[in-house]
Amino acid sequence: MLILFLLLFVGYAAGALLPFCFPAKPRTQSLLAHGCAGVASGAGIVLGLVGLFSPEPWTVSVRSTVPFLSLAVRLDTLSSFFVFTISLVGLAASIFAVDYVSELERKVSIGALGALFNGFLLSMTLVVLADDGFFFLIVWELMSVVSYLLVVTEHEKADVRYAGLFYFIMTHIGTAFVAVTFLFLYQASGSFSFEAFRDPAHRLPEDIRTLAFLMALIGFGTKAGIVPLHVWLPYAHPAAPSHVSALMSGVMIKTAIYALVRMYFDFLDGQFPWWWGFVVLMVGAVSALLGVMYALMEHDLKSLLAYHSVENIGIILLGIGAAMIFQSHGLKELAALALLAGLYHTINHAMFKALLFLGAGSLLYATHTRNMEEYGGLLRRMPWTGAAFLVGAASIAALPPTNGFVSEWLVFQSLFLSFHVPDMFLKLMMPLAASILALTGMLALACFAKAFGISFLALPRSPHARRAEEVPVSMRAAMGLLAVICVGLGLGPMVVVPLLDRVVAPFTEVSIAGNILAMDGWTLAPVSVEFSSLSTPAIALLLVAMGALGMALAALIGGSAQARRYKTWGCGIALSPRMEYTATGFVQPIKRVFATVYRPAVKLETEFLEESRYFAKRRHFEFHVEPVFQKYLYDPIIAFFTTMADRVKVIQGGSLHLYLMYIFATLIALLLFTV
Amino acid sequence: MLSEMGSQLIDLCSALLLLTCFAIVAQRRLAACVDLFALQSAFLAGTAALVGFLTDNHHVYVTAAMTGVVKVIVIPVVLKKVIQRLNVKRELVMNVNVPVALLICGTLVILAFFITRPIIPLGHVLTRDSLAIALAIVLIGLFTMIARQKAVTQLVGFLVVENGLFLGATAATHGMPFVVELGVFFDVLVAALIAGIYTNRLQDAFDSVDTSHLTGLKE
Repeated sequence: MLILFLLLFVGYAAGALLPFCFPAKPRTQSLLAHGCAGVASGAGIVLGLVGLFSPEPWTVSVRSTVPFLSLAVRLDTLSSFFVFTISLVGLAASIFAVDYVSELERKVSIGALGALFNGFLLSMTLVVLADDGFFFLIVWELMSVVSYLLVVTEHEKADVRYAGLFYFIMTHIGTAFVAVTFLFLYQASGSFSFEAFRDPAHRLPEDIRTLAFLMALIGFGTKAGIVPLHVWLPYAHPAAPSHVSALMSGVMIKTAIYALVRMYFDFLDGQFPWWWGFVVLMVGAVSALLGVMYALMEHDLKSLLAYHSVENIGIILLGIGAAMIFQSHGLKELAALALLAGLYHTINHAMFKALLFLGAGSLLYATHTRNMEEYGGLLRRMPWTGAAFLVGAASIAALPPTNGFVSEWLVFQSLFLSFHVPDMFLKLMMPLAASILALTGMLALACFAKAFGISFLALPRSPHARRAEEVPVSMRAAMGLLAVICVGLGLGPMVVVPLLDRVVAPFTEVSIAGNILAMDGWTLAPVSVEFSSLSTPAIALLLVAMGALGMALAALIGGSAQARRYKTWGCGIALSPRMEYTATGFVQPIKRVFATVYRPAVKLETEFLEESRYFAKRRHFEFHVEPVFQKYLYDPIIAFFTTMADRVKVIQGGSLHLYLMYIFATLIALLLFTV
Repeated sequence: MLSEMGSQLIDLCSALLLLTCFAIVAQRRLAACVDLFALQSAFLAGTAALVGFLTDNHHVYVTAAMTGVVKVIVIPVVLKKVIQRLNVKRELVMNVNVPVALLICGTLVILAFFITRPIIPLGHVLTRDSLAIALAIVLIGLFTMIARQKAVTQLVGFLVVENGLFLGATAATHGMPFVVELGVFFDVLVAALIAGIYTNRLQDAFDSVDTSHLTGLKE
């Protein structure tokens, strides 16, 4: 394992340094940087798999001369799972980036971009491997800073700079909370090593435990993007280059999920009052619902995907929150099931979200715009991208037999099983969370019907879309890889579930793979086959069979009919793009229904012809969704700090003599004080 | 007997240093200020040499010599050139007028003696009172920087602060490690050169070396 780890480390390091040996050759730089990243992430995939199967955690530790810091690395099954996920997405992103970065060649240094890309992957891998609190904080911070630098790749644009700043501030607020959490743990155990953190002999005092729980939720939640700390995602993810967005949205926010599981189930050893789980559950439910609702109103494809990250983090937290509730009531098997469902959704979301971001990157590469209203008719021009995007869209909308469906189904099951919880309040609340999840799934389906339909179907809505061409092979290969994984994770839960069981078992002290998998080995049945069961291969077979049946019937009954090729729904009129359904129009009904949440501002100005009011000369339509959190939460805070800063500025008179006077007075005061 | 007399001599030199400080505070002509600073530095070099002689620390002779070269010759020459180029002879407007400034400086001296009283018995017999005087010189130097408006006099104030620190260091420790003193000399020289350039720039930008014009830089 040491060799694999060194290969991973050296690979990323080489990818970060080698490009600078070939200045002014962007093509070579790109090949070198992303090639090394690909090799290193390949090593990471193998390392993750080996770690999943090894019975004992693997550790290696290097002592450093810096006080408190030891460079300790530990690979247990949870870390292995995340290393595997990160490396898999890393591999796809590396393949994708080889050609994709040529888009940026004239604007930025490809060498620097590639180096940062490698550094980003390495720091994320180290975050999930770190076995020392101090070391963790360093790599966590490194990850934040490197991702900031990647976000501001196109720094000549003002909105990108703003997005970067916003992200930078938010992530540092989060890190502050994380640091406080770790200091609590340090105070109790007297050491920064994770081994000491999880030692039951160093249990935190009860009130500090509660504080540590909340601090960790806020700190890691900022990175994960829970509501209301999610505001940076829709800024930062679209601003970054697409292969970086895929990493940020696919795996970087998952490192926060890793840290939360590590924190709650490992360091706080899974013993907590029921309301902790309830808080996490509610945060998850609110994030899921609001995430998808704001996503619906976005017509910038990458912002839309960023809001969906909020939604999916919410779904993952629903699983983790349910697991915490079950754990606090001693229902270990159900806790294992819920945690497994959450982690299953973690890897699924990593795959389909990375796939969708790479798809969005391909569209950007082909059309040079992110605005959905300027796409249209792209399926004909970019069939491979379209097919891959369709798989991703089906997965995120939780359509069987894709992977999103399986994990959301498992989350549903664990929420339905809440009738085992002895608490009446929770018995009522947990099905409520399940119903919110159902609503979320419906809205996600609507959202991706919009995203796919508006982008890929009908006629091109702009010259950009008309001129679009299919992207280079490497980009298609990366998307194809992820699409195959998405379908594979959906069709093969009976392979995935036992593996995830190995991840969950150390924390819940119970193995449930045997309970979930029904006798035949093809069906998932969390409780009993009578209560609920699912077999995605059977669904897939059924779908194929139904499709074949339909075709057969059509051939049988209408076989003699003549085929005539003509524009669909044309009715003899020459069709133009102006007749198409727009994205804005598509979501209009949903906007009306949820007007209380959106608080939409609609402005319609009509200029009439002078001769008659029955004929409009020009119409101007504007539509905004009110950014509630920014307006009512963030703006007041920012305003408060600005006012305070203005007041403090009074002492800064700008006079040299005044400043000298301050120094002088302080000196005298201190001297007198010491006498 | 020798140490008794040495102690007296060092006290005398320190007192002369303090006296030059008062002279600088009272002096309006810039060239005279610089001359007084050179004189003060000469006294400082003498004190250092005396301490070196009495305590048999030979490296203190070197620092005394360097004080002589850098502070008595180089820096005053540079400052004189700056003054000539700028054609600013006198300081007409001051933040604090001369009589009040002298009174404040007197208070500062008393303050310095008051503050150092608890630690003076702990020091070496040879240089006991020098520490209080050194602190007084530092405070007066700082006060000069506040009271005056011309960049040149502020620079002189800064150099006086440095002289005070040097006196304090020599008095309290019989000479700091040689490397440290070398470093400090270099710093002072660089600071003086930078401040000289800064003064020239100030003249170019505002047609004056009055640092209160810098208030306009505030947003």
